[in-house]
Amino acid sequence: MKTWKLADIGLFFKNSFQAVLRGEFLLRLNIGRYFIHIAYTFLLFGLAIWFSLMIETTMSKVEKNKAVLKELEIVHSQKVFEIVNVSRRSSVEQMLGELGSRVGEPDKPATTVKR
Amino acid sequence: MSTEATTPKPKKRDRIGVILYLLYVLLLIASLVLILRLAGIQLFWKPDPKIADALTPSNTVSVIEPARGNILDAEGRLLAISCPIYQFYMDCTVLKDTNTPEQEQAWLGKARQLAEGLAAEFGDKTADQYYKLIKDSRAAGKKYVRIGRPVDRNVYNRVIELPLFREGRYRSGMIVEQEHIRQYPYGKLARRTIGFVRNNKSQVTNTHIGLEGKFDYVLHGQEGREWMRVTDYGRVRNSDSAYVKAMDGKDLRITLNIDYQDIADKALREQITEEPDLEGACLVLMEVSTGAIRAMVNLVREDGTGPFEEIQNLAIGRKGEPGSVFKTVTLMSVLNDGFVRSLDETLPATNGNVAGTSIRDAHIPDFARQHKTNRISILDGFKISSNYVFATLAVKNYGIDKSKGRGKGLEKTERFLQNIYNYKLGEAFAFDLDGLQTPTIPSPATRYWTDTDLGSIGFGYSTEETPLHILTFYNAIANKGRMMKPYLVEDIEERGIVTERRGPAVLNAAVCSKAVADTITRALKAVTEEGTAKRLKDAKCAVAGKTGTSFGTYANGQYQDAQGRRKYQGTFVGFFPADAPQYSIICTVYSKPTGKQFQGGGIPARAIRTVIDKLYNIDPCFREQLKRNPTATTK
Repeated sequence: MKTWKLADIGLFFKNSFQAVLRGEFLLRLNIGRYFIHIAYTFLLFGLAIWFSLMIETTMSKVEKNKAVLKELEIVHSQKVFEIVNVSRRSSVEQMLGELGSRVGEPDKPATTVKR
Repeated sequence: MSTEATTPKPKKRDRIGVILYLLYVLLLIASLVLILRLAGIQLFWKPDPKIADALTPSNTVSVIEPARGNILDAEGRLLAISCPIYQFYMDCTVLKDTNTPEQEQAWLGKARQLAEGLAAEFGDKTADQYYKLIKDSRAAGKKYVRIGRPVDRNVYNRVIELPLFREGRYRSGMIVEQEHIRQYPYGKLARRTIGFVRNNKSQVTNTHIGLEGKFDYVLHGQEGREWMRVTDYGRVRNSDSAYVKAMDGKDLRITLNIDYQDIADKALREQITEEPDLEGACLVLMEVSTGAIRAMVNLVREDGTGPFEEIQNLAIGRKGEPGSVFKTVTLMSVLNDGFVRSLDETLPATNGNVAGTSIRDAHIPDFARQHKTNRISILDGFKISSNYVFATLAVKNYGIDKSKGRGKGLEKTERFLQNIYNYKLGEAFAFDLDGLQTPTIPSPATRYWTDTDLGSIGFGYSTEETPLHILTFYNAIANKGRMMKPYLVEDIEERGIVTERRGPAVLNAAVCSKAVADTITRALKAVTEEGTAKRLKDAKCAVAGKTGTSFGTYANGQYQDAQGRRKYQGTFVGFFPADAPQYSIICTVYSKPTGKQFQGGGIPARAIRTVIDKLYNIDPCFREQLKRNPTATTK
């Protein structure tokens, strides 16, 4: 059984360096065995980046839609305010009077039919 | 890596191989340089902070404002809603330095058209004044010139379409600031009751008024928080950071019926607007069985002489001597304690002097002369609102037993006062608005007590009550002795679903027996039929009630000044229909020092008559019911 020596570390770095110079470093590591894993990792990185961009696009749409919704809410509240504003009993009576309508406040209580 | 790798025999390299090898070495060196550079930048290099700030995408926390809850009336109509307002400003220096003389002339030409539009829209300046403002501000380099006043959405839409402004902010210099404010669709109706919350810009320290103020914790909601970052697509929420959703404010459904409020407001204004000597008035309408307040009008002259506005809640915040409306309290007390069994019991009617006090009623000799009698019944005393009768009832039945010595023999007097406290006329009970005054009830145990105090309490002086306290007491009579707590908030709702029901509550389950309540009702009906409130006799439904008039005191303790002018507090309080009460109502007017008279049977009774007549026609309680004949057949 081979025993390890301190000099082996130096030899390891020397061989690695020479392998790098020769362009054989990855071949010597036999990295081909892990090719599918490496490809998968790259795929994951790619997907992560793609999803991140998609999320960003969606979020920007969300922000735009929020702004549209806010505008609609403002318009709605303004309309509600205007409608309620003219529904005041005395205002309605006054407007009816100005329009020459004969409709006015009742002068006797309503009669209901009991079942 | 194996250390046993053998070195292959050197091959003779061809030219392409050498080139590729050199290229490989170059790339290798470059990659090493890059790795070292990356490590250096990451670990040791410090960028210029300004450049770092400019290049780092901003990731800022943003507060999400919750939508403030609405206030709804009893029928679900909106009384308070949040709407945006817009204020226009103008950066008059826009394009000033880059425009050619021709472009500058064109810009100013459009500015003139803009000025015409602004003048037509705002009406606060002429077109020439607006143009001068823009031109002078451009010359002076002003970048934040206020244009017009805050406007609503409709005006905003029109203004941004004016010439120059329609070209956008970078060409026109238009700046718009939006702010959400509270809008009240019914204008000044019940403004003091609905209230408001001033923002932090206000100099006034009293920032939380009325229901808006008291229930701000419900209406306001809870702010949210989100982190925003700038991307190529604009400013978006950072989905990696914490996000706290804003909790919108809840809605408040209150007991006011805005139609009834409108009727009451109009009726009171009709009576008081033309009276320059009046400083204020209030009118409160309450539902008998629940204590729900259906209308609460508070009108006070602005700055003492201006028009009447809802600027102070007199119904809960102003206490004063109630006057004769307090005689009902004395009547209930003597009936409850069994000192009086019937309203037909009589007292001597000779000189009008109340025994043991300096109180004297000048009307009694007149009464005796007119009716050719020397006795007056309690009912007659109530009808004509005799101070003598009620002072006598108080002194005779609850007087201090002086034979026991100084500071002793107070039991009966204290019993009378305890009755007043039992009728909740001596405390500020919990109410839905802040500011309910605590009534003042004197005590015989203090050195301020005088011999006339007991008698004068009997007819409504020497005590101070708010209109709401008096109304609550009369409401209990209408409710056959069951005293309901007045309230304004029916429930708290979230998107139409009730999350907290508040509703009616009982203050005192039995302030008197049903028999006593019926007896007092009889007396109150006599007041409106034959007594001091005859104005209500022909109202559309029978009314039971009592008038009361008191005089405010001057600094010298007198009830009139050197010119003989008095400060009146005139009240009418009662309930209707008298036989099956649905509503109780009070109206109080407050005068400035005046030579005119403002009695409870005058303006207050007239205002209440109008309210009752109008309510009678529209309130479902008063509808006639036709019963369908089950045997009838239709062809």
